[in-house]
Formats: sequence, C-alpha cells, structure tokens
Amino acid sequence: MLVSLKNVKQFVDLTGLSAEQIANGLTFAGVEVEEIKRLASGTNLVIGEIKTCEKHPDSDHLHILNVDLGEKYGVEQIVCGAPNAKVGLKVIVARVGAKLPGGEIKAGVIRGVSSNGMCCSLLELGVEEKYLTDYQKAGIEELDKDAPIGEEDVLGYLGLDDEVLNLKVLANRPDLLSLYNVAREIGAIFNRKVKIPNHEEIVTFNTKLKVSSKTEKCSQFSGKEVRNIKIKESPKWMKDYLMAMGVRSINNIVDIGNYVMLLTGQPLHMYDADKLASAELTARSDYEGPFVALDEKTYEIRKGDIVIANKDKPMCLGGVMGSLECAVDENTKNIYIEAASFDGATIRRTSSRLGLVSESSSRFVKGTNHFQSEYVLNFASELIKDLCEAKEFSDIVTYQEEKYEEKVVRTSCTRINGRLGTEFTSKEIKEVLERLNFKVMMNKDEFVIKVPDYRLDVTCDADISEEVIRLLGFQHVKSVLPRLDTKLGSLTQEQNRLKNIRFYLLDKGLDECVTYSLISKKEENSFNLLNDEEHYRILNPLTDEREVFRTHILHSLLKVATYNVARQNKNLALFETGHMISKASNSTHLAIVLVGKELRRGNMESIDFDFYHMKGLVEGIFDCLGIEASRYRFERNTTHLDELHPGKSADIIFQNKVIGKFGELHPNKIEEFDLGKLSAVALEMNLDSLLDAKVSTIKMSPISKFPSVTRDLALVVDKEVAAKDLIKVIKVTGRGLVSNAEVFDVYEGEHILSSKKSIAISVTYSSDDHTLSDKEIIDMENRIKFELTKQYKAELRG
Amino acid sequence: MKNEKLKSIVSEALEGIKKALKLDEINELRNRFLGKKSELSSLGGLIATLPVEEKKTFGIEMNEAKQLISQAFEEKLNALKQKALEEKLKKETIDISLPSREVSLGARNPFYIVQDEMKEIFIGMGFDVADGPEIETDLYNFELLNIPKDHPARDMQDTFYIDENTLLRTHTSPVQARTMEKMNGKPIRIICPGKTYRRDDDDATHSHQFAQIEGLVIDKDINIGHLKATLELFAKKMFGEKREIRLRSSYFPFTEPSVEVDITCANCGGKGCNMCKGTGYIEILGGGMVHPNVLKMNGYDPEVYSGFAFGIGIERVAILRYGIDDIRKFYNNDVRFLHQFKKKD
Repeated sequence: MLVSLKNVKQFVDLTGLSAEQIANGLTFAGVEVEEIKRLASGTNLVIGEIKTCEKHPDSDHLHILNVDLGEKYGVEQIVCGAPNAKVGLKVIVARVGAKLPGGEIKAGVIRGVSSNGMCCSLLELGVEEKYLTDYQKAGIEELDKDAPIGEEDVLGYLGLDDEVLNLKVLANRPDLLSLYNVAREIGAIFNRKVKIPNHEEIVTFNTKLKVSSKTEKCSQFSGKEVRNIKIKESPKWMKDYLMAMGVRSINNIVDIGNYVMLLTGQPLHMYDADKLASAELTARSDYEGPFVALDEKTYEIRKGDIVIANKDKPMCLGGVMGSLECAVDENTKNIYIEAASFDGATIRRTSSRLGLVSESSSRFVKGTNHFQSEYVLNFASELIKDLCEAKEFSDIVTYQEEKYEEKVVRTSCTRINGRLGTEFTSKEIKEVLERLNFKVMMNKDEFVIKVPDYRLDVTCDADISEEVIRLLGFQHVKSVLPRLDTKLGSLTQEQNRLKNIRFYLLDKGLDECVTYSLISKKEENSFNLLNDEEHYRILNPLTDEREVFRTHILHSLLKVATYNVARQNKNLALFETGHMISKASNSTHLAIVLVGKELRRGNMESIDFDFYHMKGLVEGIFDCLGIEASRYRFERNTTHLDELHPGKSADIIFQNKVIGKFGELHPNKIEEFDLGKLSAVALEMNLDSLLDAKVSTIKMSPISKFPSVTRDLALVVDKEVAAKDLIKVIKVTGRGLVSNAEVFDVYEGEHILSSKKSIAISVTYSSDDHTLSDKEIIDMENRIKFELTKQYKAELRG
Repeated sequence: MKNEKLKSIVSEALEGIKKALKLDEINELRNRFLGKKSELSSLGGLIATLPVEEKKTFGIEMNEAKQLISQAFEEKLNALKQKALEEKLKKETIDISLPSREVSLGARNPFYIVQDEMKEIFIGMGFDVADGPEIETDLYNFELLNIPKDHPARDMQDTFYIDENTLLRTHTSPVQARTMEKMNGKPIRIICPGKTYRRDDDDATHSHQFAQIEGLVIDKDINIGHLKATLELFAKKMFGEKREIRLRSSYFPFTEPSVEVDITCANCGGKGCNMCKGTGYIEILGGGMVHPNVLKMNGYDPEVYSGFAFGIGIERVAILRYGIDDIRKFYNNDVRFLHQFKKKD
C-alpha cells in the first residue's frame, strides 16, 4: 500500500514528524514500511524560459538555447537535445551542480559549444514512466505559459514534492488498505488528532434498481443510481493524488472509483445502466459458462464463483472484473454504483484460477468492512457531483444479511501483563486502546472492550495484548529466562549416531555438502542404487528440473563433483546425509563421492581414490558405531552394472539386507559426468538399520600375558580366490591358537602364471594360558597349509 | 708412576688417542696398546720375574696404566660416536617447508556449522531435538496452525503440492502441531531443525529450498519476556556477547502477539551502515506467543498453558555470520567455498 504523506496529512496532524519518524513508528507497531519513495527529486532546479533556440552547427539534433532563469541567475547558454525545444517555452532547468536521480549536472562543452545546465524531462527528475505520456518521455517537460520564471521550488510547483511510504500490509490488517485507516493508525501511534471527513447523502429521486443476493458468499450488496454524468479527464489534483498512491488516471468516473477505494478500502463497481436489460442486479454463485470481461478476454466461470447477474446474464465477476457488455465508456450517461462485500476465500480462488489479481480483488481476499457502504456511496456521490457535473442521485438500495453488532472482547490487566511479561497499569492500557478507537469499560482489573468495525483482526484477548504492546513498545517487556523444571536436553540415539558418522567422515577429510531435494525425473532414475521405490512428484513444479522429491542423494552429489571439476577442483571427497521420502518409506541416507586423488595436505604422495578407500570408510562407520566386523559383510554387486564398475563394486550386507552399494564408477559414467580421466568412487547407503541397531556395551576382555608369535605365509592361488576365504580357512583351522590373520601383500605378474596370484598373509599365534612352543606353532602351521592346499589348491612359496 | 717404561707407553698411547680422528684408528690403537701382543701385555709377562717387593708396586702401576689408557679410549670413542651421530643427524635434516602427509580435515558446509551449533545452544538450555517430515499434510502445515483453507496468509507462502492435501512443508512449524499431539497436554521444550520449501525462483536472496530451526516452549505462565530472554541468549552465543536484540510487532497466524526479532548489525555495531540500510539492526527471526487457537486445536487449554514459538532461518544466520553474499553458494558446494569452513567451534 502506497501512502502519500501529502494525502494522509489531510486526515491526521503530522506537524513536526519527518517521513523517517513516521516510517519508524509504523514499522515498530507492526506495519513495516519497506521504503520511503520520493515522487521526484532534484536540487538546484529553477523554472526558466527559452529565449533563443538555434541549431547546433555540428549536430543534426542538438540545439543551442539561451534560457532566462530570472533575476537571480540571469540567462544561461544550454545545449539541449530535446526535439520540442523552442523559443518561448517555459522549462525546468537543472543548474550546474544540480543533483538528479541520474547524477550531477556539470558545466561542459558539447561538440565545441559550452553548456551550463540542463533542461529536464520529468523522467530525469525520477518520475516513473507509467505516469508519463510518450510525448512527455520523448522531450523536455513543457510547463504552463504562466509558470513563474525564476521559481526555485520546482517540485512544489509541480506538485511532486511528496514522500510516499510503501507499507507492507500483512494479512491480519486489511483495514490498512485504506488511507483513512492508515491515518487512524498513525494518529494512534503518535497520539495525534485524526479527522476523517463526513459525507452527506444526496438524493434527488427514487431508483427502480433492485439489488439482492442468492448466495451466502455475498452478504451485503448496496447500489445507487446516478443520471446524466459527463465522462471526461480528471482534474490535476485527482491525477496527482492517484499518482502519489501508485494508480494511473483513466477518466473522472474510473478515477473516482479508485480514489474512494484507496481512501476507504471499499472497492466500487460501476455499471452502464442503459446497457442492462432491466434494473436489477443479483449476486449468485451458481452460474457456469463463458464470460467476456472488460479486458475483452473470455473467462470460463465455474459454479462457486460469485457473479452479479442481470436476468441470468453475468454482468460482473464479483470483486474481480466487470463485463464488457455493461462497461462504462466515454458515452455513458447513467450508472449504477455497486458497493458490496464478497467472501474472501471465494475471490481468492477465482482470481488466482483466472490469473486476475487487482487492487479490488486483493482487498476482498484480505477482508473488507461490511458496514460502511452507505458512507462510501455518499462519498462517491459527492465526487461525481463535483467532477462529472451530475445532479440526479437516487436513494441507496441495500441487501444486507448480517446485522451490525459490535464485537466485544473481555480481558483483564492481569491477563494482558501475564501474557506480555510487562507491568502496565490499567490506566495505561485503557489510554492506549482508546487511541486505537476501542471503547473500553474498566472495572478494577477487568476490561470490557468494544472493537471498531474496521478492525477485523481483533477477536480475542491475545489480540488485545498485541495492540497494547505494539503501541507501547517491546522495550517494556522484561527479559527473563523461563523458570522451568531442570532437565537435560539431548539428542536421541539416532540423532547422536548420525552426528558421529558425520564427524567421523569430516575427520577423514570429507567435505559435507547440502543439495536440493527436488530433482528431475531423469536424475531420480540415475544412480538410484538402493531403492526403486516410487517417488513423490510435485503437482506444481517451477521447472522440470525440480519436479521429483528425490529418494536418493547420489546423483545430486555426482553433480556437485561435475560442478567442481568444471572449475578445476579435481580432487574431491564429498558426502551428504539426509532424510529421503518415497511413497513407501522414510529413511536416512548417506552418499559419498570420491574423485581424483586422496586429499592430503600436500600432493606429493597422494594416490588415486579407489574401491578400497570407500571400503575403508564404510568399515570406519561401523567401527565408530561399535558394530563388529562379524555383523556385516561385503558381497560382489550384481546390479546397476552400467553405473558402477562390474568388477569393482560391492553390496554392504547388514542384518541380511543390502543396506548400501558402492564402487568405482563405470567408465561411461565418468564420461557422462564430465569427470575427465579422474578416478571416481561412489556410495549410497541407507543408515536406518545402523542408527537403531543394538550395540553391546563395551566390556574389557583380558589381554594375554604370554607373548604372541607372528609368522608369514606366502601362497599362490587362482586369481578368482577371494582373500577372505583363505583367511577364513586359517582362522577356522587354527581356532584356539590363531588370534589373527591378515593379508599384507598381493602380487600378480612376473614369475607367476597369469591365471594365478600370490597372496602373503601374516598369521598371529597366541595363547591365554601358556607360552607357545615352536613345535605347537609349526604343527599348527602345517595343518593350516594342508587345509589351504586341500581347499584352494594353494601352493606355498619359498 | 715410577716405571719409566710404563710412563712412556701411557703417554704414547694418550698422545695417539688424542690424535686419532676415526673409529678405525681407535680400534687399531686399542689393539696396539691394550691387545694381547701389545707392549703392555708383554711387560705384564715380566711381572713374574720381578722380586716380590717390586711385584706389588709394578702390578699397581701396570693396572693404573691400563686404566688410564682404557679410560682415554672410552672417552675418545664416546666423543667420536657422538660426533658421528651429530653428523648423521645433520645429514638427515629435511626441508620442513615441504607439504605434510596427513589427510586434510574435511569442511562442513556452513549450513551444517550453524545448524549443529544452534542445536548445541538449545540443547544446553534443556531443549530436545525433534524431527518432522518434509512432506507434510495440509492439516499440520496450515490448518492446525490457525491457517484455514483460503486464508490470505497462505499467499505469503507459495507452496509445492504433491496433491490437494499433501505438500512440501513451507516452514518447520508443523512440528509444533506434531509435538503437541505427541506430548498430549504435557509441557514441551523442543527445537526442530529441517529443510523447508517454497515455490520461489532461485536468486541471490531467494531459494526454493532453505532450512529453519523451529522452537517451541509450552508450560504454565510463559510470557513474551521469556521468549525475549531465550532469544537474547541465543543471539549472544551465536553472534557474540556484544550483540543486542530488539523486538518489533509483526504477524504470523499461529502466534499472537507476533514479533520480528532484529539483531544489532555486525558490520557497524548498531550505528547504521549500508548492510543494515542505516537502521543499525538486521532482521534474523520471527516468533511470538503461541496463538490460543493453536493451543486449543492441539489439545492444550489456553487458560492453563501458554507458550512461545520461534523460527530461525539457518542460511540467514550463516549469511549474516560469515558475510555470505548469495544463498545459492550453500547449494553449489564449490569446494573453494567449503574449504573456508574447516574450523571446529
């Protein structure tokens, strides 16, 4: 809502208040002022008259002017490019040193001719384009012939010396979409006198017009007939008024409608009475069919929309737009004026469905005062009488379903202070509420409060406490921490474990990312390693790119890798955790992407990321949750083989379910994601079963007092034999004596058949109750060798 | 020492040891002066031929000589070993300016730094952390928060819909209703961090996805002063002890009275500058007293219980704290951006 201070000043005393002070006062009272605009601005301005006008010798469009600036400044030579410059024209001159919205005016030489100042268009003074004609925009402003030469208050002369507050009116204060109510609000905040004018009813005849409503969505409908109006241009004061409030002038009757709406908040609609088949207007919500509106477009009306009909024909889409059929035009003589109240929810649905949002529809959506139509129609009549030279006014006809009842709220000083944490006295509270036009009856601590009809938002005692505090100020609120039962705030087990996983990965050098949950359908189907569960689709997406609520993170994280690699960030270790939602389930996921080389502080010894890096991270996650290696296992991955490298990918199996998949990227995908020749490893894991897995508490087990012995075994086996199977044989065979067995080298190549590989395993022997003898160890080793040879045809190397 | 012979052997040996520079030389000298074929050794063989009275003296002097020489050897040997070690260490000197070998520390997107820290602050004040679904029903996201169908406040929040009754939550406030339902009339003290979605085009200051932390306290005799003090504590922890907050009246359908909370501008300390548009304050969050209708709809008697609620934008806090100029930077995850945030607080 744009509020011109010049306009509002007519209704409330603003003496001594600057625009900034008013803006600040409103903002703190909950009516945020987003900006203070000036209609036009400029310093060093003066009105001048062009005395001579010659063509510039070096230009086909410039003129050399001598402009008389009056006694004080004399005559200045100005080079001017405006096509309409001519002798005798009164113009606005910005003298040297003038500060205009576009910059400062300096003395200069233009193509060899000196120029001291500039003749201005209103555009150059910062007036918005929409208020100017093409002629005005193309040249300098042509002032009236009687404009006083030498006048320095040029903005004042032009009526552009106004400051306009841009109010952000929130949904609870639709009353502030009325300049009168803004005046009342300012009056209350600054405790100033407010004067809203009265308007007398003008009646010269009785109308035949009948108004009615056949829908509960129109609870009130008033009409008035005016005859023999003259449609013409509005006077300058009206144009200025509307311009200051952000509305363009059309003609006198349209302008009156807008003017009354801006001041009172009540939208009006005018019908050309001669274009209606009969003198009746009925509000209905059962019409369906096409409707040709004022803008000459056809709209499809559905049942439920409010229309004002004449003989079953819709003449107006209530509160939204009138019909072309009965529109007021330059030949209109007789009119019906409508002042009605429509259901906001219905108007909201209709106007957003049809894309027709206007000043009036948005007022109905937020809520209007149902009990001021008489006042509004009287006000409009008065203006029509003055501006449209009309003399014949009918009485007002009204359909009104609801009777006006004053809203009453009961509360008490104790309750108000209790809610606010303040210590206001009853007197203070009463005084401030009265400033807001509430009628307050006080009985000791108790209040009975009558709410003014335009304050639709105030219904309960919490609302009253808000009125009190927003005017008296939050500085009165005592800041005290609540005294509540002492308790330990804490994370749940799941939240805590997730945090531990995140911090483990951070310590391992991975960067934690956050990406968008909405992705494209194609992206959802890419690297969806874990679930093919059905995703949710957005009904009203902004773009196809953000159409699906993702069920996995990996694709988004791979895109982060692409983004970074394109910016020469080639070594990446990234992860993200998040809640995934599909139609079937909610779950917490982790995704990891490793690209390029390990991120060491220096690059001297870094090695390329591979499968085993990722495997180690997974093991680390289980470790930090205290889940022993025996409870999970890795198996060769057999799905998504076009996305992961078939030979370098694995499933993570926990509680007999595949909870994650990881592996090096398929070479085709490295190319698809523009990762160049970099190595890339990716993981997606459902963390749910980890986050609520049962984990035994730690109980220390004794460490053997007897020394252990470590001996190495070097074996040659077929390439296909998995190391973990050899280890298993060693551990099973050596049960009781072998405490550990670990691979420490794998070799393929020279001296070994191409179908074979050499594996070196170090085996640790120990006992809890005695020192092992050489014989014991050698016997056991021989048994192990025998089993390995028997089960896996292992050959022993020297 | 009286025996001239011994005397000369000792002095010759000491002289030799003193001059020796290498371990080899020392070993050779040791052989020469203390070995089986040494002069001293052969002199020792003579002891048997001496008269009894001289035997004792000679023996003593002999031992003395041996001891002197051995000691000298020992000392020299140690000195040489020490020197050799020093030389070895010197040779092993490395260029300590070369890059280190340790894996570098990962960086948290500032989004998470702020979220983690906010959780800690409120956990410290006795709050629990609640989670709520990002895909919500109209009931929890709007209706139970005093925003009925076609309420104009719905226009403040352009919503992504899944179907007529299912949507992406536009704020973390539905967790208020969910928690009240769960706690079923008992006092509440929770925060809920989480992602939220609005149908906005992305630019430097708007994002279709952003995150909030919702706070809710319900108990007996709660008032705005409690909200103010709680947020003051939060602001000082988050932004520094010197920061002040102020409350402005505002409007949210689910709180009454509603407030916007501003914090003194970090850039100018409250004097007014470009960043705070000359006001000295920057808006950081919204809150208020839980609306009696909301309490009622969710099973709390507003005559017995009152409460406060607030919602803080996570990116907003990070933007103010770190001077981040574009909200999209959080979601691009450029590692040159991320790596600026390694510090652990």
